[in-house]
Amino acid sequence: MKNLLLILSILIFSSCEKILFKPDLGSVNPLENFDYLWNEVDKKYSYFELKNIDWNQMKATYRPMLNDNSSEVELFEVLAAMLNELKDDHTNLITPFNISSYNVAATGAKNYRPRTLQDYYIPDAWRTGSLTHDFLSNKEIGYIRYGSFMSDFSDAQMDLVLERYKDTKGIILDLRENGGGSIFNVPKLLGRFAPSRTLVGYSITRDGPGHKDFGKKEDFYITPDGNIQYLKPVIVLIDKGSYSATTFFAVATKAFPNITLMGDATGGGGGLPNGGQLPNGWTYRFSISQLLDLNGNNYAENGVPADINAAFDWTDLTKDEILEKAIEELK
Amino acid sequence: MNNIIKLPLLILILSLSKNSSSQDHILLPQIERYYPTDYYTTLSFGLTNPIYRDFATSPLFYNGIGLESSSASLKRSDARERIFEFGFGISAQLARVPQSNYIQSGSISGYGKFDIFYQELWKLEALSDAKNNTKIGGAINITQNIRANPGLQNNAIGLENISNLMASAQWTRDISRTEVKQLNLWLFKPTLKPVKRELRFLLNVGMLNFNYRPGYAYSYDSELNGMDTSPIQWALSNYKWSLNGWRLKTELEFLKYLSNGNVKGWSYVWEAAHAPGKFEAFQMASHQLKYTFYIHSEKR
Repeated sequence: MKNLLLILSILIFSSCEKILFKPDLGSVNPLENFDYLWNEVDKKYSYFELKNIDWNQMKATYRPMLNDNSSEVELFEVLAAMLNELKDDHTNLITPFNISSYNVAATGAKNYRPRTLQDYYIPDAWRTGSLTHDFLSNKEIGYIRYGSFMSDFSDAQMDLVLERYKDTKGIILDLRENGGGSIFNVPKLLGRFAPSRTLVGYSITRDGPGHKDFGKKEDFYITPDGNIQYLKPVIVLIDKGSYSATTFFAVATKAFPNITLMGDATGGGGGLPNGGQLPNGWTYRFSISQLLDLNGNNYAENGVPADINAAFDWTDLTKDEILEKAIEELK
Repeated sequence: MNNIIKLPLLILILSLSKNSSSQDHILLPQIERYYPTDYYTTLSFGLTNPIYRDFATSPLFYNGIGLESSSASLKRSDARERIFEFGFGISAQLARVPQSNYIQSGSISGYGKFDIFYQELWKLEALSDAKNNTKIGGAINITQNIRANPGLQNNAIGLENISNLMASAQWTRDISRTEVKQLNLWLFKPTLKPVKRELRFLLNVGMLNFNYRPGYAYSYDSELNGMDTSPIQWALSNYKWSLNGWRLKTELEFLKYLSNGNVKGWSYVWEAAHAPGKFEAFQMASHQLKYTFYIHSEKR
């Protein structure tokens, strides 16, 4: 028995993980990498149904373009083209030499020109953290520009901004070409305009191999945030460049009667993306969840429509027609 | 688990459990009567070579080097042993990316882990004599990993808990020098005094293997609710407990007793775990070289 114990112990002691784990799956083979990515998207992507995408057909179309000897550039081009069929800017392939993206913003008209604002509306604007702001229309209206949800702002900074405009008739919150960022900043910003804790939507995430397999609805709440609230009318400016977190923000505003969306529909981006890595070391991400409005509709991925449509007229660069319309609404 | 080790493990576990049950009623009364008990507080530092693979985000192994440290309260007698240990480790990990013939890609990950280890051992008289001491028992090993890999975009953070109820076996061989010994090294003829030394081998085999792993597809959707979301809820909202997989741990330690009752130990620790979770597996292993200082605090 003693010898048996000793032998077994030495056997186990001298063994290592290499004989216990499955083999290293690293590979530069183009077809193996294609299959890995196709399978991951098939298992987890969240908008096949909404976008009416036949993913098996994509495999039939794109896989024959590759073979065992395809170059890395050829592999990238085929994988990028296949991913762009999803028409989703939360879907990217990241390599050391190129990054794929669909570029939703380019599918619609451009509706934001910073120089027009700077030269003709807010030449002396304050810059408080990531917020650019000033009075408009003889101090009747406050204008706040938030260019990216990637940028943070402190509670004290937002307190200062809202205190400055507390006596205005309304605020214009400009989120045009705000491409998103941290979802955490959505409730942080919108919570300043919310009178009470409000259910504004839901999120569902893929939980099975079927393209319609989703888990239970996760509630999306907005709670009043910070020391100072602004509960007068607010107009939020949006366009095709308003993506991801801005789309979440836009969907959530529908639950608040004091907030109006103006401009063009957002670009979408209603799915939270996850990230992963291919056997050759390249990385990727794609949407795995759906954002639903209070009625359970998942239109956000294709863009949240504005309540009042307006467009920038590029023949006259001295005027921002969308901003003008917002001022008119608030007066 | 690989069939190569399934059978030997089964034999080991069955043989240990048989001996254990037959010894219980004889051994326990003798412990208190005849064996002095030493109490130690231990401090350990070591170099580690962790390896992991998280199939939820990548098919690639991540390999690295880092530091580990731990502290324990140890109660040890000839007949019984109990240890409660808390440890942590940090390391930098590089993905084992295959060679590119264009531009090489690479991923770096920060890897931290926290360990809690509790173990009770009892002497197995049948496998012990004047020079050999064999003990068997059980252990609880709880490991919480925290990984950060910015290249994985929205899944940059990886968290998993691996908790195991383990069967334990320990063999200690007395390799003391009992007489004065003089070496003849040509110009030098050092005299070596008697010293108490031991070689200790510990084996832990997971019997009940729990793991807390991400759900089918994971994103941090709790952040939708912003500051209403607690950090724990944010991090773990899509995670699920599973009872599956395996875990093995072995340690070989050389112990040298000092005249003041303290002990120095040098050890090699190997550990491996496979946590299938509900959907995609996590695997980890580590090779660790460790120095331990045992501070003798009390003897009864």
